[in-house]
Amino acid sequence: MNSVSAHRWSEKYPHLGQGPIPAEPCVSEDHYRREIAHVFNTSWLYVAREEEIAEPGSYKVKRLAFADSSVIVMRGKDGTLRGFHNVCSHRGNKVVTETGEETFGHSKAAVLSCRFHGWVYNAEGALVNVPEEERFYACFDKDQNGLASVHVDVWQGFVFLNLAPEPAQTLHDFLGDYGSHMAGYPYAEMDHSYKYYTYLDCNWKIAHDAFAEAYHVNTIHAGSFPDVFSTGLSDVQLFGPHRTCGVCLNMSTAPEPVAAIAQQHARGSLVAKAERTMLPPSINPSGREDFAFELSVAFPNLFLHISEGIWFTHQFWPIAHDKTLWEGKYYVRAPRTNSERWALEHAQLLQRNAWLEDTQTMENTHRAIASGAKRLINLQDEEILIRHAHHVIAQCVSAAE
Amino acid sequence: MSANLPKGFEALAPLVEDWALPTQNARQAKRRSSSTESLQAFYDAVVPLLPKILAHVDEFPMGELLEDSQLLLYLSLALAEVAPHIELYRGDPNVPHSFEEERFIAEHGEHTG
Repeated sequence: MNSVSAHRWSEKYPHLGQGPIPAEPCVSEDHYRREIAHVFNTSWLYVAREEEIAEPGSYKVKRLAFADSSVIVMRGKDGTLRGFHNVCSHRGNKVVTETGEETFGHSKAAVLSCRFHGWVYNAEGALVNVPEEERFYACFDKDQNGLASVHVDVWQGFVFLNLAPEPAQTLHDFLGDYGSHMAGYPYAEMDHSYKYYTYLDCNWKIAHDAFAEAYHVNTIHAGSFPDVFSTGLSDVQLFGPHRTCGVCLNMSTAPEPVAAIAQQHARGSLVAKAERTMLPPSINPSGREDFAFELSVAFPNLFLHISEGIWFTHQFWPIAHDKTLWEGKYYVRAPRTNSERWALEHAQLLQRNAWLEDTQTMENTHRAIASGAKRLINLQDEEILIRHAHHVIAQCVSAAE
Repeated sequence: MSANLPKGFEALAPLVEDWALPTQNARQAKRRSSSTESLQAFYDAVVPLLPKILAHVDEFPMGELLEDSQLLLYLSLALAEVAPHIELYRGDPNVPHSFEEERFIAEHGEHTG
């Protein structure tokens, strides 16, 4: 093996420094408020897959607790997706009654009707019907009382929104080279999904950081992935506020009996090898044989992982300085046979178990940092994605103030 | 309760009532409430027949299994739930050193199949 510098990423990105980073932003209420104002209220945020709202008249409502808001993304009869705050122009009721963090619906006529008094809006957000309209006064103008719109745009089937009245950048410009790097993967073909969520009593960055390195695999995943992955990253690349790297396998590991049978039947496991790659040419540029998956972060809160036959996302939605909604979504091609269905179950459950291991540290970390006993966080070279994340957030907050 | 399984799988009939469960949530709950010994016994009973089960269920198109074959698929899915606990977690009915499983909500958890 060639000798690889133990500080290779720091040498590649010297502007990030090597020293410890402050712990306080992970537990500070004041810092949280500044992040909401200068990161979450101004960045493009991933909220839906196009397949979820494929039909004209279909819509998804996403709660955005950090903004005390929820947003409707609706597909019009013209096929266009538009975003609206879920607030009726009458007396402020929610137009769509939500059933959880994500609410789905469909209207054949492509309209939304508020349950409170029956005000009706079309998919362009215009107010088209007000029961007993004549009882309002001359000053009431339907044309001035459409839904409040939210900027929405699509990249590779990922629907993003931006809460800023006038976003500083288009989604395309915001994603920049990261968007090019992760484009071309068959996301839409692999729409058979398994979705989990939970509420974590920790800051969103602590959750982010726990997933943003492979240094933890030999300890945290000693159970579900013993000696399966390398602790070092490959091909770290930083793209403005976004970041990506490869995670590699230890190829010497022999699977246990049931796992071995699952791998024979699988098309959707991080450790199954495929004959022909579905990965875009930008991925694994050093052509490593032991490449397992790309771990990327679209700033601020989307982890997007792609591999042969499977892709998955993590998202961390701030709710308070010490509370985070985590969502983990796992996507594969729909199984074609019953044995594939079985193998998929095996792979997906192992992934669930790994996520249960990943989330175990987060609340403890938050409580420990909140004690104030330690003021600094020490990062090694393979934790460069964490260093980058904190660097970018600090820049966003200080640039805006 | 008498369970009918396809010919050649009669040996698994005693497992059907407890383990041929239609949803991932039910299989997860069963695994979590089982002892190490019963997980091991279930694993030991099903693993030798697993290749034969998978060949059998592949005689049917996806989603078109006859009732007795469907039970067999459910048993194999329960094995997918149990196997890591025998092969990786030393028989621990829970995922060791993990987040509280009951707080992890599976949106697909009540789906059948």
